Formats: sequence, structure tokens, C-alpha cells
Amino acid sequence: MEILAKLGIDWKLFIAQIVNFAILFWILRRFAYRPMLAFLAERTERIDKGLSDADAAHKKLGEMEQKEREMLEQAKKEAQKILEKAERLGKQNYEKMLEQAKEDVDRLMKQSELKMESEKAKLLSDAKAQLAELVVLTTEKVLQEKIDAHKDSELIQKHLKSLG
Amino acid sequence: MEVSIAAESLFHIGGFPVTNTLIMTLIVSVLVMMAAFALQGRLQPVPRGLQNGAEALIEAIWGFTLDIMQDKKLAHAVFPLIATIFIFVLFSNWIGLLPGMGTVGLAHGEHSIIPFIRSGSADLNTTIALSFIVVFSVQFLGIATIGVAKYGRKFFVSPFHKPYLVGSFVGLLELLSEVTRMISFSFRLFGNVFAGEVLLIVMLHLVPYALPIPFLIIEVFVGFVQAAVFALLSLVFIKMATLEAEH
Repeated sequence: MEILAKLGIDWKLFIAQIVNFAILFWILRRFAYRPMLAFLAERTERIDKGLSDADAAHKKLGEMEQKEREMLEQAKKEAQKILEKAERLGKQNYEKMLEQAKEDVDRLMKQSELKMESEKAKLLSDAKAQLAELVVLTTEKVLQEKIDAHKDSELIQKHLKSLG
Repeated sequence: MEVSIAAESLFHIGGFPVTNTLIMTLIVSVLVMMAAFALQGRLQPVPRGLQNGAEALIEAIWGFTLDIMQDKKLAHAVFPLIATIFIFVLFSNWIGLLPGMGTVGLAHGEHSIIPFIRSGSADLNTTIALSFIVVFSVQFLGIATIGVAKYGRKFFVSPFHKPYLVGSFVGLLELLSEVTRMISFSFRLFGNVFAGEVLLIVMLHLVPYALPIPFLIIEVFVGFVQAAVFALLSLVFIKMATLEAEH
């Protein structure tokens, strides 16, 4: 017992320390460890979930980008095809129209030529008929008034004047 | 200069000696509790200030506990004890390093004083109380985990089976080691911290300036190491107690 006293061991203090530790233990368990561990576990879970969500989103984004690229390529190809087709079709149409126009012009030219010819012929025949009539008429008048040479020339002059 | 192994009592309350170490342990307890109350219910998803330190501490201890117990349920059962031991011992060790340690106190005779500041761990009452709690918890958790019969078979081995009397003798040695563990536990912590304090007081008296600083740094480290050793050994002993005896 002597040695215990020399070492400062006192059962009252010993019990006081045990009680002190027990109270500290109980309060920390109730107010620090339990809420803290739950909180930490929850946060770990949240961070894990956030990370996996981010990964999934990243993957999805990559997939969508790939899809977008593919679609853009497809659209480009299709546009090219449509453009080529339009060009071909346009060329065809143009040639066709040109041909048509040429044909039309040719036809119209021929038609007008024909018409002009027939008109010319008609005019010529008309003129011939009138000339004949005029000759007959002139001849008649000349024959009626054939008195003298002077009169004759006068007459010719007169008729020519009326003709002119 | 006078250094006493026993903690000095400052005054008495009806026959109860109030020692400097008792006051220090009470201060440590109150401060730790205040920190716990300050944090409780105010935990932020993004930690700041005090919460950072508390989280780092709790997570580190929880990591060690889980690593050694390797069982989440058992780890949850053991964690509060281990964490409290570590925190209590750590701050008890460190509070003894505050300025005024061994120098400020009640006048006692002509050339000596009764210092106000003395680490709780520099008092055998505290360290024996802690080791008593640990050894008691080891027995309790061992029995609770594997049952009275299996736990008892670790110490009381029948002399009529394979290793015969050797087995029985080893079992009794195991039982004895449970008791001696209490002594080694308490004296290791007491010895380290008390020696550190004596060393610092001697240094302070020899050369008051500059020289004690490296020793102070070493003592901060020793305080941490001793707290970790106490907590880890407790953890290991509990783990061993929860394992069934090998045959």
C-alpha cells in the first residue's frame, strides 16, 4: 500500500477518472461519432453517385457526339446527292428547252417564209392584172383620140402624167 | 526544483483530493465536448474550419478501426471507445506542454511549487483507469462476440487433449497476460509523458530560452505517438479477443 501511495495511486481519483472517461465516451458517442459517421458515409455515397453520374453523362455525351457526327455526314452525303441530281436534271431540262426553242424558231421561220412567198406571188399577180387593165385602157384612149401627131404626143404626155 | 511522481493536490473537497491532473483531464473533457456540441447538427457538405480537423481525425480513426477489425458491425461497436481513447489521451498529453507547465503554481515551501498544469497522462490514476477500461472492454467484447464458452476456452485448456499440460499452462499464461497488460499499458503511457514533462522542466531550469524548443517539438510528437500506440494496442487486443482460439 505504501508503494501505491508513493506512485500517487488513490482509488478516489481512479474512480473519478473512470467516471470522467465514461461521461466523455457517452457524450462523444451520442453527439459526435454517430452523426459524424452517418454524415461522412452519406457524403461518400453522394460523391460516389455524383462521380458515377458524371461518368455516365460523359459517356452519353460522347455517344451523342458520335451520333451527331454520323448524322451530319449522312446529311452531307444526301445533300450532295440531291445537288448532283438537280444539276443533272437542270442540264437535261435546259438542253431540252434549247432544242424545243430551236425547233420552234425553225418552224416559225419556215412558216413566215412560206407566207411571204405566197404574198409576194399574190402581189405580183395583182400587179400584172392591173398593168394589163391599164395597158388596155391606155390603148383604148390612144385609139379614140388619134387625130394628129401633136395631139398624140400631148395625149401620151397627159396619160403618162396621170399614171405617174 | 522538486518533481513528484504522484500528481500534486491543489486543494481538497471534503476529503477528496483535487489534483492538478484531475483539473487538466476535466478541462480536456470539457473542451472536447464543447467541440462536439459546436459541430453537432451543423455539419456542412463542404467542410470548413473546425469541421475539417474533426472529419480528418474521425475518418483516420475509422479507417484504422475498419482495417483492423475487418468487420463493419464490430468496427461500429468498437469505434467510439478507440476514438475516445485516442482523442482523450492525445489532448491530455498535449495540454501538459502548454506554457506554465511545471513553472506556474501554488507556492509550496521555499523553492518549490505545486504546478497548475500537469498532463493527465502524467498521473497513474488516469492511465490505470484507462487501461482498466480497455481490459474490461476487451473481455466484454470478446465474450459478446464469440460467447462465454469459446472465450473461456482460450484460458482454460483441458490437460487431457493434444498439447496436454502445455496447453493448460499456456492458457493460464494468457490469463495472466490479460492482467499484466493493464500494468504495461498504464505504465507505458505514464512513463513516456511523465519523463517528457520532467525533461522539459529540467531543460527550462537549465536554459530558459531556445534550448527547450526542440524538446518541446519532440514531446508534441511523443504525445501523438503515445496516444496512437494506446489506441492501436487497444484495437488489436479487442480484435484478438474476438477471434476464436486456434486448435
